[in-house]
Amino acid sequence: MAQEMIEGINPTRMELLKLKQREKLAIKGHSLLKEKRNALIMEFFNILERVKGSRENVSEKLKDAYKDLTASQIIMGDLAVKKAAMSVKESVNVDIESRSIMGVVVPVMDYDVQQRNIVERGYGFMDTSVKLDEAAKEFEESLALIIELAEVEKTIILLASEIESTKRRVNALEHIIIPRIKNTVKYIEMRLEEMDRENFVRLKMIKKTLEMEA
Amino acid sequence: MKSNIAVMGDPDTVTGFMLGGIKEGYPVRNMEEADQTLEKLIKTDISIIIITEKIGDELRTNIDKLTKERTLPMIIEIPDKNGSIERESEPLNKLIKRVIGVEMIK
Repeated sequence: MAQEMIEGINPTRMELLKLKQREKLAIKGHSLLKEKRNALIMEFFNILERVKGSRENVSEKLKDAYKDLTASQIIMGDLAVKKAAMSVKESVNVDIESRSIMGVVVPVMDYDVQQRNIVERGYGFMDTSVKLDEAAKEFEESLALIIELAEVEKTIILLASEIESTKRRVNALEHIIIPRIKNTVKYIEMRLEEMDRENFVRLKMIKKTLEMEA
Repeated sequence: MKSNIAVMGDPDTVTGFMLGGIKEGYPVRNMEEADQTLEKLIKTDISIIIITEKIGDELRTNIDKLTKERTLPMIIEIPDKNGSIERESEPLNKLIKRVIGVEMIK
């Protein structure tokens, strides 16, 4: 590992300069990516605070809703409930916009679930039971929670995959690319020094033979 | 952007959510039907798809692929009328553990 370096590099001054440039760039990129990773993780923790418990809330709410739904099915019959459900007017209104967290585009939902009273829902009163009203109300309430949960979960998934890839890049730079460049720079410097010394000795020798001949 | 919500699941769940005011309800009876309906829904401009956890578990690989590929539609899993199923680990918790390295939410 310690000796690993870039293959096929000529030990010349040109290459040395180029490599030093690359090293500088790699180090700069590494520190930038590290900052990005830290910012993403901080953002991730903030979101985690929001998701805590919101799944439980949804489950709780839905449990009540299903109970009322089953009750109304018992009272009115399965078909009648279905019929009533068909005639309910649309109540949710969701606008999805996006926000960018460190380059990750996450959805932001602007939703509006109407809490309606029984007259506005759209089914008749003749053959419906009060349990149906309650069930409809419970479902309306749980819809708002579900939409919020959907937003948060999607954000978490998107952020998580971005964090993963940033992490991988940071590690690749830190543990492979930068050490490799450093080793290569060292190798070229050593070769150049060696060539210098060789040259020096050669000159000395030539000088000596010239003096002998003279 | 204006968007639609659809719900797909067993007939009772769908009825419930239609009562709550969602117009797009797709009752499915078995997993093949669910798979086909999901494929179809993805192609439309529906942006939130509510499915039951049971379906989510069965079609896990498919859903993971879809959610990774694009932002919309969002697929969200909810418990059905039998309550939420006991899972060894929530898919979300698993993801968080992989990213942070420790378990964050219990």
